[in-house]
Amino acid sequence: MLKEDTFKKAQDGDLKSVEEICSSTWEAVYRFIYYKVQNRQEAEDITQETYVKALSHLQKNSVKIEQYTGFLKTVALNILRDKWRKKKRRGTNVNIEAIDAEKTAIEDETEASAQRELIRNALDRLNEEQRMVVELRILKGYSVAETARIIKKKESTVRVLQYRALQTLASILKNND
Amino acid sequence: MDNNEKKLSEYIDKLNAEKMPKEHDEPTDSPELDELMDTVRKVRSLREPDLPEVDYPKKLARVVGRQLWQKPSNRKRKWAWLAGTAAISAVAALVLLVNFALYPGRTDIVYAMEQAYKEVRAYHGILSIVETNLKGEETLQSMREVWADNEGRYYVKELEGFQKGLITVNNGEKKWQVCLDEGQVYVFSAFPDPYRFTLELGNEINDAKNATQIKTIGKDVVAGRKATILEVLPKGGESYQIWIDEETNLPLQRQRAMVNAIQYRVTYTSIEFSDNIPGELLTYDLPQGFEEIDKNSEQLVNNIEEAAEIAGFTPKVPENLPKGYVRDSIAVTDGMKAIKLSYTSKDKKSRVIILQEKATDEFKPASTSVLGKVGSNTAEIQSPVQESLGVLNGGGQYSGMADICSIRWQESGFEYAVIGDVTMDELVLFIESIALDPVQIPSGEEVASDKPQIEVAVDLEAEKNEQKSVDAGHSPWKLDPVYVAQVFVSLKISPEGIEGEYPVNYEDMKIIKNNGIDAIVEVSGDITTVRKVYLKRLIRQDSTGIWTVVGYDPA
Repeated sequence: MLKEDTFKKAQDGDLKSVEEICSSTWEAVYRFIYYKVQNRQEAEDITQETYVKALSHLQKNSVKIEQYTGFLKTVALNILRDKWRKKKRRGTNVNIEAIDAEKTAIEDETEASAQRELIRNALDRLNEEQRMVVELRILKGYSVAETARIIKKKESTVRVLQYRALQTLASILKNND
Repeated sequence: MDNNEKKLSEYIDKLNAEKMPKEHDEPTDSPELDELMDTVRKVRSLREPDLPEVDYPKKLARVVGRQLWQKPSNRKRKWAWLAGTAAISAVAALVLLVNFALYPGRTDIVYAMEQAYKEVRAYHGILSIVETNLKGEETLQSMREVWADNEGRYYVKELEGFQKGLITVNNGEKKWQVCLDEGQVYVFSAFPDPYRFTLELGNEINDAKNATQIKTIGKDVVAGRKATILEVLPKGGESYQIWIDEETNLPLQRQRAMVNAIQYRVTYTSIEFSDNIPGELLTYDLPQGFEEIDKNSEQLVNNIEEAAEIAGFTPKVPENLPKGYVRDSIAVTDGMKAIKLSYTSKDKKSRVIILQEKATDEFKPASTSVLGKVGSNTAEIQSPVQESLGVLNGGGQYSGMADICSIRWQESGFEYAVIGDVTMDELVLFIESIALDPVQIPSGEEVASDKPQIEVAVDLEAEKNEQKSVDAGHSPWKLDPVYVAQVFVSLKISPEGIEGEYPVNYEDMKIIKNNGIDAIVEVSGDITTVRKVYLKRLIRQDSTGIWTVVGYDPA
């Protein structure tokens, strides 16, 4: 559990405190980001950016933080949104203070768990071949060649099957929204 | 369709390899593909995340710590002095006069330090940084070897502590950091450079020179040398102590006030003076097997034609350079959209940058800036630079450095900024060398003629206490007139207090006048009947002074 003054010390540039904050909160923050980006490389980078932004923000603004992890997740969410906005060339920056940290973190957990349930249900509605391809390729991480060997189909067929399976899933999930 | 099937499959492969797919940075040209990739991520979220290596938290802390050190501390920014208006200069002159009257020894001490530093060409020292807690227990935080010269070049090596082995060098042409344990070298632009090692002699003397109060409080011996202890009260912030070597008249040690039960003391355990920093320390050389990570997004070019070809426009070039300056470099920056012309004074102690690019957005000045004019166009004047908007955003890291000021404006479809560690008058000379029209920097009297329809009573004692509270690092939003106006208008709507979101958006507030002492914020939207909020810096008229609402106009 972080002591209240650890954040204060980190804001004053105390590196031991930065280390303490990172080691006690990184996993929740990293998991939150990974959930959104689904790859380790990007999750590690955004986690790092999150801590730099969050601690710089605290240096600039003497904010009292009650929900450390919630605050860090909010900053992470801002970075992700910013990134997605930039990708879409809209280019507006998100104001860190405009989002309620606690609310975001809580809503996100609830939403994530409901979404997992929806995805499982959607997978059940795929035909046997499509479900198998999605499970092997996406959930178990097999390559196209390995998947083709397992289900005894051509690689091109695996690609077609996974494309159609994802189209079906996207349509089911969209109708659920 | 075939192509999209392939792209989708490659996307899945990339995620399976735990690498970032390029589609996360670049838009695809197919909304359907975007949607399917989104679905892949959703399905994949049923898996347990792939966690980093066990030493990741340690690496994370190290990198975060280093980047925080790279970023200028806002604390410093808060205490920095806003120059640039005649009225403020008058206040500063008055403060100096009062100090002189109250502390007759002050100018002698500072003068002696300045004169002594003028003789220094380069120095080499070992610095120790010690942390003391409330119980008086001391811990050595770090030991650092430093080389520095009077042209702003330096070499710093961490000998002990959290970042042991880290080497930071700025040779005036480029800046780099060698991380021995990571096998990486980070390269940055040489100017502006937010990194200042603690107890750098030139900065320390400058801080003393700009202090509100300075007085002798005793004698001591530091690292075997006789020293005089001075107590320095900076403009804003807590007082601190510096130990001045009686023989050299240069700082030997500094001790900050205790903040959050922790106090830091920085000491030169040894220091010697020389003619220059050894050349090999200032030569960039990528060690074998090391990876270079270039954080400097600038591309240096040889002439204006090359810059124009890359950026797609011909930049304005000063016709008559202010006396004593020479052109240092031409670069294209900010995604190759902006042209950056750099100038240095002949003694290399001052630098000025002219940035220019095609204007893409409506001009929006920083909310904390003073508003002036270049010709008939609104100019954003910052001293020091507090926010990097528009062309300033892509041209380097300018904000947060106490000694850097800027003027930014748009003119005939282009956006310009002139930035430098010089006086506002020198910046104006540079602007006049590229702009046809004169520059107007407002004085304190101009806005005073705008009177609010309804005056708001002010409790001066309460404001003095608020200022002290802000000086101590609380409620920094009081330094932003737009934020203060937003809170005022919100409280007009909900006098019982604000819960959750402010009823009036920050974006609905527009600063229409600000001379550094008086400001007027215009309010749009139909949620409030307040149309204009009048604010004043009542307690201190510089960038560390809080804003107070003194009146408003209803609709």
